[in-house]
Amino acid sequence: MIRIRFHGRGGHGMKTAGRIAGTAAFLEGYYAQDFPVYGAERRGAPITAYTRISKDRILERGIFSEPDIVIIADESLINDPAANPLQGVTKKTITIINTMVNDIKDKFSILGIVNTIDATGLCLEIIGKGSAVSAALGGAACRIIGIIQKDNLINAVIKELKNINLPEELIEKNVEVAEKCYEILSPIIIQHGEDIPDSPIETITLPYQYPTMSSPSVFSSGNIIEKKTGGWRIFKPVINLEKCNKCWICFVYCPEGVISLDESEYPHIDYDHCKGCLICYEECPVKVITVEREIETW
Amino acid sequence: MARELLTGNAAAAWGVRLADVDYVPAFPITPQTEIIETLSGWYSDGTMKGKFVTMDSEHSMLTAAGAASATGARVFTATSSQGLLYAFEVLYSVAGWRVPLVMVNVSRALSSPITLEPDHNDILSARDCGFLQIHTETCQEVLDSVIMSYKLAEDRRVLLPVLVNLDGYYLSFTREPVEIPDADKVKDFLPQYKPDHASFHASGPMAQGLAVLGGYIYSYFKYQMHLASLNALSVHEEIAEEFYNLFGRKYGVVEEYKLDDAEYVLIMSNTFATKGKAAVEKFREIGCKVGLLRLRVVRPLPTKKIQDILKNRKGTAVIDQNISIGYGGIFYSEIAALMCNEANKPVILSFICGLGGKDISMKEFQKILDDTINASLTGNIPGTQLLYTDVEWAKMKHLLDVAGKPVI
Repeated sequence: MIRIRFHGRGGHGMKTAGRIAGTAAFLEGYYAQDFPVYGAERRGAPITAYTRISKDRILERGIFSEPDIVIIADESLINDPAANPLQGVTKKTITIINTMVNDIKDKFSILGIVNTIDATGLCLEIIGKGSAVSAALGGAACRIIGIIQKDNLINAVIKELKNINLPEELIEKNVEVAEKCYEILSPIIIQHGEDIPDSPIETITLPYQYPTMSSPSVFSSGNIIEKKTGGWRIFKPVINLEKCNKCWICFVYCPEGVISLDESEYPHIDYDHCKGCLICYEECPVKVITVEREIETW
Repeated sequence: MARELLTGNAAAAWGVRLADVDYVPAFPITPQTEIIETLSGWYSDGTMKGKFVTMDSEHSMLTAAGAASATGARVFTATSSQGLLYAFEVLYSVAGWRVPLVMVNVSRALSSPITLEPDHNDILSARDCGFLQIHTETCQEVLDSVIMSYKLAEDRRVLLPVLVNLDGYYLSFTREPVEIPDADKVKDFLPQYKPDHASFHASGPMAQGLAVLGGYIYSYFKYQMHLASLNALSVHEEIAEEFYNLFGRKYGVVEEYKLDDAEYVLIMSNTFATKGKAAVEKFREIGCKVGLLRLRVVRPLPTKKIQDILKNRKGTAVIDQNISIGYGGIFYSEIAALMCNEANKPVILSFICGLGGKDISMKEFQKILDDTINASLTGNIPGTQLLYTDVEWAKMKHLLDVAGKPVI
């Protein structure tokens, strides 16, 4: 049994990546089981997708916490407690991260084998857009496990992207991306034990707690600011204040309200919370906002 | 026949397509599912012949479904969780009309707190209304059960609506290989519905769904429903045999997994039964004689069958993925009741697991087995237990801390 867990944000296409891996394995003649788990259905919110691949019928259900392979679509998810992509990662786990940062293994003390791939860059180059990396990371997963032929990966990409009504031309470009990932990466031997190890967890008896504690309410307020949504950016808008005419158009149009005015009425972007929608860049009448590819957002 | 990766939702839609359903009324938004999305696509592109109508609520949706079925059409609808509760009043009404419609419920835990993942308080809240209930474990079983349900519902000895239940996420969004039966073979198995008790023809007017005054009248009609529901047990056996002969897959009113020589029996329902089977395999590897009884036809409850399976065993553990607040497990109460007059009955233990989709770890299955063996040896039977791990408790305490809970 191979267990692959995909982590991304709504819009990255990780549900589709999980399905690409599932379909490719199915076409290859394996049993496959795949499913996504997400809470709020909105762009940017963390989602997880799970794919199980096996020669025999799969006697498992639901989530798994001992993945053989972890695929992370966005390095800013690594420290996000809502995503927790490194949960259950051991020295046997293979982790593939879409990032341009080279020393990421050390930076986050990630156990096991860590490979990086600039899937966003690849998608920007071939498709012209870098937000959805489903074909890239679905392709990466299929390559790493070493049991999927390239033809079956391609067929799976076509089948899954047709399923979400992508136009023909976009599907072709995604196939190119998947093929490229297949070529860049090499299979890695998976060192899993078939048996789930005896875990040290114990069962407990829940105590009664008074409703101030045990009703579903939150007493601590004003903490939304701590959620740094800036990690979602692919592109970063930068305002050239020397040329800015203080028209406030960017300030008015920012849908997130993360552009503020200083005492001299110049606009400033709160990069901890700017999601990189680039509406300010589009709307700036004097074109003094430029766009940079984001490399490290945390 | 084709073999494809299908989600539970897609499998349900395929069942409806193959059953050649005439009319689908649906509430189109949350908590509605992809079942309805898929069907609406097939009706609009002409793949399916019939009528698909969107309604303003589950209450209207089920009323429309019942009314359409009372004209003699083959009708399907689907809902989930809070939506089923919104339709609650109508569940009793249409069951009383004795209309053979089929409804799928995608189980999700009920508010509040609001959540998305499955447990069975939603479907079990509807256990007394007169709908037959079939609870499924796999995507294949979802597809097959929808087809079988029409044959069961439309049988003259039954004529009651059917609810087919599948778990949200862990089945509804989970893809696995499914055999899609041949449409012609399904037609042989499930011929066109020919109503004789509830239909509308201009040439033969009739009144349906009457009001009655007088308890003896009401009692007569209610008890007829009960008898019809009980008939469904033997009718299901016949239908399952025919289904097996045509399609090669066999479904009992319950599923017996490694029960032949089992001294201890785990009782589960729905998708997490797969986890129970994996646990049975583990226990068998170390020489422990354990089996699993999966409840499939839940209404009518196959009491005689379950009695026969459980008597002379040493211990049984009922694993409820639901909680009757102020009592405990719903299936536990039913299993305990049906065994209470048996002479050689096992000890029966009650566990609550998987609420709101909470995972059941091997460690928890181990505890269930240990407690059951211990109870059968000592006769000391613990009360209902919610299974919870120290790891989960530590995480929960952290969240309470983050929420700024004052300790009183």
